[in-house]
Amino acid sequence: MDFLSIDVGTILFTLINTGLIFLAFKLILFKRIDAILEQRQKEVTDVYTKADQALKSADSDKEKYAQAISGAKEEAETIIRRAEKIAQKQGDSILEKARHEAQAVREKATLETEREKNLARTELQGEISDLAMELAEKIMEKEINNADHERLIDDFIQNIGEQS
Amino acid sequence: MSISDFLRGSPDGVDVSGPKIVCSFDLGGLTINLTETVVLSWVIILAVTLLLLWLTSDLKTKNISKKQAVAEWAVKTVYGLVEDTMGKRWQWFAPYIGALFTFSILGSLISMLGLRSVTADFNVPLTWALITFVLIHGTNIKTHGFGGYLKGYVDPVPVMLPINILSEVATPVSMSLRHFGNVVSGMVITSLLYYALSVLTAKIGVAFMTIGIPAVMSLYFDLFSGFMQAFIFIMLTMVYISNADGNAET
Repeated sequence: MDFLSIDVGTILFTLINTGLIFLAFKLILFKRIDAILEQRQKEVTDVYTKADQALKSADSDKEKYAQAISGAKEEAETIIRRAEKIAQKQGDSILEKARHEAQAVREKATLETEREKNLARTELQGEISDLAMELAEKIMEKEINNADHERLIDDFIQNIGEQS
Repeated sequence: MSISDFLRGSPDGVDVSGPKIVCSFDLGGLTINLTETVVLSWVIILAVTLLLLWLTSDLKTKNISKKQAVAEWAVKTVYGLVEDTMGKRWQWFAPYIGALFTFSILGSLISMLGLRSVTADFNVPLTWALITFVLIHGTNIKTHGFGGYLKGYVDPVPVMLPINILSEVATPVSMSLRHFGNVVSGMVITSLLYYALSVLTAKIGVAFMTIGIPAVMSLYFDLFSGFMQAFIFIMLTMVYISNADGNAET
């Protein structure tokens, strides 16, 4: 071949060769690298989306927990208040009951005393009438004189004093 | 130039010739020559294809290997270059630019293996320049319509018609000749230098001149020039095409 010549055959071959090397670049290098870059981009986007979601859910969790804690506080307060009320009521009722019981005991004691008194009085009366009967019998048996009479009454009174 | 020539000094004069014809055949009256250029192009294509297959094998999204980093860097660089020069909507053009750059640079650098540069055959840069030419005019017609495209030749005044046509024709000619001229002149100078140094070696009888000096010269004429010409060629291609695409956002 000449040093500087235009050769149609070489031009055609070079055209085909350039096309081949272009196809090699397009179909091997660029296609594959583009695909991997796109995939990486997608993965990065995925990671970001996931991170955003995690952040959002963490925030909502935080809020939920805060709400739960404040709810728990309220609940605790309610429980305490209720307990206080119950304790108050119970204490009141215990006191009331004690007072009632004391009252009852006192009343019972009064009644008992009264009854004892009555009993004593009844017994005394019985005794007096017995003595009166005895005295009447004795008067009937002996002829009562003034001195005897006086002595009898003194005995009687003395008897009453001893009895009571 | 064989090794013995290199060591003893070449007995013959310097010979700079066109690419050798490997074989030729007839295709409907047209003689098709299968030249050294075409065969070496195939070698380059094969090497590039294998290299790309190796680079893009076992791609991952995380913990990438060094070769994947290189491949990604290359793709991103070419995308960035195309985007900067032509605008985002020309991104699909990036594989062609990458392919052209690689083909051009390897076509020039193959001379470092002692083979004939593919780009030192005028037909190769001419083909590329013609592709660019077709793309320029195709883009122009697509953008401005056929009427608008034709009107561009009589712009701003009809007297400019011959000058406009000349400038359009000059584009591929200048592009291809610039590339070819740079590579081939490097080749010629390197050959002359080898010859001169080998004559000197033959006079002295010791092969010290042929070691060192050609290496430094080769650094410029092969590596630097090959890289520069490839870069200039793709830059001009992108600039011309995006110029033809008047409403490109850059």
